[in-house]
Amino acid sequence: MHIPSSRISVSEIAKERGEDGASVSKSIGVEEKTVPNAGEDAFTLAYEAGKQAIDIAEVKPSQISALFVGSESHPYAVKPTSGMVAAALEVDPFCHCADLEFACKAGTAGVQIVDSMVRCKQIRYGLAIGSDTAQSRPGDALEYTAAAGAAALLLGPEQTKNALCRIDQTISFTTDTPDFWRASDEQYPSHGGRFTGEPGYFHHVRTTMQSVLETSKIALEDIDHVVLHMPNGKFPSRIAKEFKLTEEQMELGFIVPHIGNTYSACSLIGLVHVLQEAKKDQRILLISYGSGAGCDAFLCTMLRDGVKLPIDTRETTHLTYSQYQQQMAARAH
Amino acid sequence: MNDSPSIIARAQKKRHSRALCGTVLSHTIVRHPPAGFPKQPRCIGLIELEDGSRTLGAITGAKPIAIGQHVAPRMQLMKINNAGLRTYDIVYEPTVMQHAPLHEKQKVQGYILALTGPSGVGKSTVNLLLSQVIGDYAQHVPIITTRDPKKQDKNEYSYVSEQEFQDLKDQGLIIAATRIPSNTENRWYGYQAKDIERIWKQGKIPTVVTEMHLLKDLSHHYGRRSILSCGLLPPGQSRRAMLSQLLHRLRKRGRDSEASIRDRLRNAEQDLIFFDRRKDLFDHLIVNEDLDHVVSILKRCVRKLDKLSTVQKPKEAL
Amino acid sequence: MERDIFLIGAGQTQFGERWNASLRNLMEEAITAALDDAPCTSLDVDIVVVSNMLAERVNSQAHLGALAASILPHHPPALRVESACASGAVALHTACSLLESGRAQNVLVVGVEKMTDTPSDEIAAALMGAADAEKDAPSGITFPGLFGLIAERYMHEYGLTREELSYVSTRHHERALKNPYAQFRKSVTSDQVSASPLVADPIRLLDCSPITDGAAACLLSTSCESSLKISASQLTSDTTSIADRTSITSFPATKDAAERAFEEATIQRSDVSVIELHDCFSIAALLSLEDLGFAEPGQGIELYKNPPADLQINGSGGLKACGHPVGATGIKQLIEVGRQLKQQKEQWGLAHNFGGAGVTCGVHILEHSIA
Repeated sequence: MHIPSSRISVSEIAKERGEDGASVSKSIGVEEKTVPNAGEDAFTLAYEAGKQAIDIAEVKPSQISALFVGSESHPYAVKPTSGMVAAALEVDPFCHCADLEFACKAGTAGVQIVDSMVRCKQIRYGLAIGSDTAQSRPGDALEYTAAAGAAALLLGPEQTKNALCRIDQTISFTTDTPDFWRASDEQYPSHGGRFTGEPGYFHHVRTTMQSVLETSKIALEDIDHVVLHMPNGKFPSRIAKEFKLTEEQMELGFIVPHIGNTYSACSLIGLVHVLQEAKKDQRILLISYGSGAGCDAFLCTMLRDGVKLPIDTRETTHLTYSQYQQQMAARAH
Repeated sequence: MNDSPSIIARAQKKRHSRALCGTVLSHTIVRHPPAGFPKQPRCIGLIELEDGSRTLGAITGAKPIAIGQHVAPRMQLMKINNAGLRTYDIVYEPTVMQHAPLHEKQKVQGYILALTGPSGVGKSTVNLLLSQVIGDYAQHVPIITTRDPKKQDKNEYSYVSEQEFQDLKDQGLIIAATRIPSNTENRWYGYQAKDIERIWKQGKIPTVVTEMHLLKDLSHHYGRRSILSCGLLPPGQSRRAMLSQLLHRLRKRGRDSEASIRDRLRNAEQDLIFFDRRKDLFDHLIVNEDLDHVVSILKRCVRKLDKLSTVQKPKEAL
Repeated sequence: MERDIFLIGAGQTQFGERWNASLRNLMEEAITAALDDAPCTSLDVDIVVVSNMLAERVNSQAHLGALAASILPHHPPALRVESACASGAVALHTACSLLESGRAQNVLVVGVEKMTDTPSDEIAAALMGAADAEKDAPSGITFPGLFGLIAERYMHEYGLTREELSYVSTRHHERALKNPYAQFRKSVTSDQVSASPLVADPIRLLDCSPITDGAAACLLSTSCESSLKISASQLTSDTTSIADRTSITSFPATKDAAERAFEEATIQRSDVSVIELHDCFSIAALLSLEDLGFAEPGQGIELYKNPPADLQINGSGGLKACGHPVGATGIKQLIEVGRQLKQQKEQWGLAHNFGGAGVTCGVHILEHSIA
């Protein structure tokens, strides 16, 4: 995974609006979010995340022959991020590549595609990356949480030497729901306010959760770690309460308070945190949500103890609101 | 215009060779960056990368940089042209490490002792003496060649066909190669990476007795810093005097025909010109007048080399 | 030298912001002055060699050889040479080759640069052409930035301080007070230099040679004699990118060219009384003194702190104070060396001109016969 080193706190943004930072932070369950610098975009973040995944897996880039990037902020409307990442990482030039968009679940959609390709032996190794540098309209509620980051999963055959975790089952649930959208000529997205709650996030995640439990015949108590898409701190907590998930189950993957909503990377970054700490044979449930709307769910089993990523030695800088504005403006070339 | 599609495409191909960690050799802050780059002051460094090559690159972060700072590569959006086409390039991010850890340096970089000199200057004799003196630390790298074995060859060569040589070269297994054309033959000479790396693994210093093209290739492949390069010159104040010395020695050696001696002298003249023009490829230029003297100088160089691989160098001229 | 080549006429324009003079006007001015100074007429000119770096890009004018030749009534054969800031030395070297070969007996060499018609940011971009477009430019470095890297490293290796470096421009401005052609005839204090705005740390505005319009011309001849003879003309090259060097605090091209020039002229450094060296930036003056062999590495600043009585350095004010119309500088240097040798009744002078960061270097040695 890779996230920018700049942060801005919710209280800093609230201060700008004359609101009370502490209460806003409490109500949305987020303290601070990541802010990309002028030279970072969904491609550069995806590249860094992909590079790290390849290093951890100890696989040669030339053995990778599928690469999908899911994002809401691809650098180009036409010119695939996946092609650029594939070339930069020097994967096998005979590689299946395409860009995906499904709001915040574009990254996990990529995971499903690469997973299928591995299963049918079309490829040996593939990379699925979720990456975003989300834009939000100044003054809008989304400004508190829209963040930037990327996560990459390298998938391959179960028998591979370094195999970390196995996807046992994956399902998806899709509807046409106008909770959140961005027209192609618009810089900022629009959303339906409270409509994004029950008809959006909750309905889809709940339905998907119920389906997973039914089809896999597994009980929630037998799942060790649950990772949900985190548009803020409150939505996943409500689902957790509804399904009586414990703090222990949610803990590792609950990364939104200090990173914010990294959109297509969000649930994947949560998963990456789990994969570092989980133990062999533990079971993981991931449900991502994309507005528009739909969910991807994965039921997984750890094949060995988790592997820690190299410690990020970069210093994080906290921005003032005007620095944040400048940094965001410099990106809209 | 320097950001058209074809320019960007070519630059992209070379990007990966700069995606290495490195050390800052010097730095500056360009207060007024050129058009197309962000307007803020830009920190740019001259960076020596892990493989010994050097590059100019932007350095990220707001903290002041010091010479010797260790940096790691990052992908960054550099600029967007008028048509919206983006240029991405490698920039360098300061890491917490001040200097590359010593044990890593030894693992990654080995040294090669290279003796270069024109035909007849006495390279083989020097090399023979040297191996007697430092034979425990050093080992001769076999030269892979397409020419036929000769009576006087000892074990310096391994012989292959021209096709085999080309194949090995194409596969990147031969990392230095030169063709020595002459009136009598057309032959290829080179070094294989595995031969050099095998000697390093044994904890010894690979030595080569070589000529200018091979020296250039070795320097290019392993980085100039990895070669302890000694040029052997014949005595003589002027190039003419040196060449007549060489002629004298070649005739005295009695090994070659007059035609072959003529070829060698022509090559030797090129070698002497090369010493002049490419001083940067040589750490020492030694006049081969007194064999013992030469060998003792080389012994000193090699001993220093041995010390250097275990001690961090203080600030010094590049 | 295969033949005796004499400097028989010399002339230059005022250097500075010449709003009323075009590229052509500047050439005309310098050529007229040089021919007026010479014992022969314009019709005696066999070939014209023009030195210029930027005209195609900033003046939309290529074909400068022809342009210069058309200023003469018989429009003789002409050509133009370019080696960034070393164009002048290269033009002189070319002229010497034409004279030595016998193809010409009288060569008019004219260096010209018209820089003030163009916005300064475009000039800055154009000057980067002196470096490596593929290897250096993509990092976002500028030409002053290259010397910023050099200065930073030099200070690290030799302990040179900011206060010391400021001596260089101060001295250059002192000397230009006596040069009527100089762009700046105004003193500048070390404090002013140290306090001027940063351009590429540690280089400040008053460390940098300015943007200048100007032209300089001279007539070189094997048919006419004069008291000024060219005893050496040497050109050398080095890698275009400083990333391909072993050291950035010394220019091998300068060292090389100087060695060869002293060998060609069969003189020693101690014989030289007058030098015009290439100070595109103040740090370059120090490197030049050291690489030319007039100071030990790291000691160049001593000659600026305590100027030697027996060696005049950049009596014209150098590139900093006299101005740096790129293509004209190398010619102006030779002219100035001749003028200073005559004025001081000394025998040997040296002109040192380089392009890029010591990429091309030209060294000329002039002998003044004190008969």
